Amino acid sequence: MAMKNARPKLNNNFWQVDHKIKNIFEPKEVIILTSPDAWRKFKWSRKWFEKKPKEGYFIWVKKTIDLPLSTCITIASPKISQDLTNLLVIEKNVKAKFNVICNAAENKLCGKHRAKGKLILKDNVSLEYNHFHKWGEKDFVSPDYEFILGKNSQLLYTYQNLFPPENLQLKTTIYGNENSSSRLNFIINALNSNIRIQDIIYLKGKSSQGIARLRLAGRDNSQIEAISKIFALAPSKGHLDCRGLLLNRTAKISLIPEIVCQNKKAQITHEASIGKISEEELNYLRMRGLTEKEATDLIVTGFLN
Amino acid sequence: MGKILLKIKKLKVKANEKEILKGVDLNINSGEIQALLGPNASGKSTLAQAIFGNPKYKITQGKIIFGGKNITKFFPENRVKLGMALAFQSPPAIRGVKLSQLLKKISLKENLSSIPEQAYLLEREVNLDFSGGEKKISELFQILALNPKLIIFDEIDSGLDIQRLEKVAKIIKKELIDKKISVLLITHWGQILNFLKPNLINIMFDGKIICQKKDYKKVLRTIKKYGYEKCKAKTK
Repeated sequence: MAMKNARPKLNNNFWQVDHKIKNIFEPKEVIILTSPDAWRKFKWSRKWFEKKPKEGYFIWVKKTIDLPLSTCITIASPKISQDLTNLLVIEKNVKAKFNVICNAAENKLCGKHRAKGKLILKDNVSLEYNHFHKWGEKDFVSPDYEFILGKNSQLLYTYQNLFPPENLQLKTTIYGNENSSSRLNFIINALNSNIRIQDIIYLKGKSSQGIARLRLAGRDNSQIEAISKIFALAPSKGHLDCRGLLLNRTAKISLIPEIVCQNKKAQITHEASIGKISEEELNYLRMRGLTEKEATDLIVTGFLN
Repeated sequence: MGKILLKIKKLKVKANEKEILKGVDLNINSGEIQALLGPNASGKSTLAQAIFGNPKYKITQGKIIFGGKNITKFFPENRVKLGMALAFQSPPAIRGVKLSQLLKKISLKENLSSIPEQAYLLEREVNLDFSGGEKKISELFQILALNPKLIIFDEIDSGLDIQRLEKVAKIIKKELIDKKISVLLITHWGQILNFLKPNLINIMFDGKIICQKKDYKKVLRTIKKYGYEKCKAKTK
């Protein structure tokens, strides 16, 4: 049983370690439950959960709150297999910010983290959703998130993974209704990892907008395959901006931008490139006193920024 | 004038298998201001890059000695740590990195020198979409952070209007020359020399220093009238 409303460590509103809920802290006008509890308590939530959840969190934001909400899901024991179903519902006219952390407490726990998330942004919502991942080198991680944007809603989603697992399967789907806008940033620094990214933006509503921006750095022994898509189904605007930086001979990056237009008033564009570190920039920074490694790290940091 | 800080002996340098420097000799003393003039493609920038160990330039013969140490085979970063700094003619942009972040990372001084009216550059990405003048100021910020004993300015006067040039020259005078830091000014048109008045002027032509004189005004007049290659004969 979770200890509710105790002051959380690191101010997390929801904190789970392995399968155990460590803390739930509900600010005013926000309901936070485990997903199984929400399934039992709110019948309307079943429509969104689709099937009975085993674990995960439910967060229902009813009014604008000043401070960011935060969640933390950690793997701390060997060979843990998490199977999370998360549901986030944000009521009309609410402005919210989330900082979401998923991580492994140690490097070689061989954990599995599966997360299926649904985020419902009702009309006129503004959401900034910052998703940080930090994994061990033997972990398997598979997040699959759907964002449903109501009329006039705005989403700024940043997924940042500077410490990737051995295997990452990241799927993100956006459904944009009338006059909604979504901006996605994927920032991944791959090292000894196999990464597959699939992001899809459906521009369903009139005047909806979507931008996906990928910045992928491939270091030693890493394979990245990214498929980034926009489907324009209504008069809308969309853009894909995919860039890869290859840092090692043992790395491979594959970028596949795909734009599909089913409305003659829609305007969708894409750009994609994969390059290596510029020798000129590297030598310039070395002539500022940085070692080759320090200079490389700074250029990569700038690229991922 | 102090003792020899930088000594270059019979330096030969190749880039892309082509010999560019064909035996350069140059001494710079502590606290001295020298200028290096020459036409385009005479090897001035190659000399600067070779002094700083840019791996693109291969030293095939000769030595570079700094502060009594033979640094010919040193990595660029180790040369900088000994007290050398180079202001680039055309510095590359470093995307996503603010100038203030870079300064923090490279600074060898406790307190960073400030150029108050140009402080807005600190929050911009290094050299990205900078004007010609802003690039020069960015270079000045960086080399001042390195607390050097010797600075080489590669074409610091290129792309600057006369007012900007005067402003940059004033900063160099106040922050470096007045503090007895050695300076080598590489230029091909010499206007900045009227502001900074070098102790010695070197003329480079076809990969060699063909002439060294103390009277920079006379040298500039001679170059204007007869060209760089006649400098030695006409300034005797």
